[in-house]
Amino acid sequence: MNSVGEACTELKREYDQCFNRWFAEKFLKGESDGDPCGQLFKRYQLCVQKAIKEKDIPIEGLEFMGPSKGKTEDSS
Amino acid sequence: MKIWSSEHVFGHPWDTVIKAAMRKYPNPMNPSVVGVDVLDRSLDNQGRLHSHRLLSTEWGLPSIVKAILGTSRTLTYIAEHSVVDPVEKKMELCSTNITLTNLVSVDERLVYTPHPENPEKTVLTQEAIITVKGISLSSYLESLMANTISSNARKVSRYNGRRAVFLGKRGNPSKSCSIPERPAQRK
Repeated sequence: MNSVGEACTELKREYDQCFNRWFAEKFLKGESDGDPCGQLFKRYQLCVQKAIKEKDIPIEGLEFMGPSKGKTEDSS
Repeated sequence: MKIWSSEHVFGHPWDTVIKAAMRKYPNPMNPSVVGVDVLDRSLDNQGRLHSHRLLSTEWGLPSIVKAILGTSRTLTYIAEHSVVDPVEKKMELCSTNITLTNLVSVDERLVYTPHPENPEKTVLTQEAIITVKGISLSSYLESLMANTISSNARKVSRYNGRRAVFLGKRGNPSKSCSIPERPAQRK
């Protein structure tokens, strides 16, 4: 699956692979201590946010922080 | 306004269905989704995983519809909020379009839970509210979109035997899922 920013697709794939592995092998089994994909996510996000600005996609004002929401520790 | 809802039972346990749902795209049954990005992801203080994603879709509207709508945009964007609760075994996805909002509003909500009578099965309840604004063909276009959503959802039942289960669009009347606090009783 492609990213909204064409240049970000490879970074997205690396992050997705990491996340899907953690999700299936840790999170769903009740071991959600730490997210090993933090660094990959940061790199991927830098690219995606740039693409969103360039394409003028209107994500401003969307609630990205729900109630009682805490951030995971960045374990990498 | 058109409201559409359905319920579907998968012949697989919740964990399997959720793993597939998280990897739903690319989806040959729903090729209109052409891009997916995660914008934010975190655990809340109850251990639930929240994700916010941006989906880009190519609706493939007939050109006459595009002409009536007065738009040459072919890509539309959808914001999705999902919450996975591994303790309660519940996954909820809510989405809404964030482009063409002056013309149409498509809000969907999907909830996956284990089947109450058989833990080897999973129930998906899915609903969509579609509102087309400001033009006389609103009923027709609402039906067109509802039929597309319904048709995508029906494709699931034809492929029930597949491990990777694909579903129609997700959605919710609000941009974020309203997820109540889980009642106490955690270990």
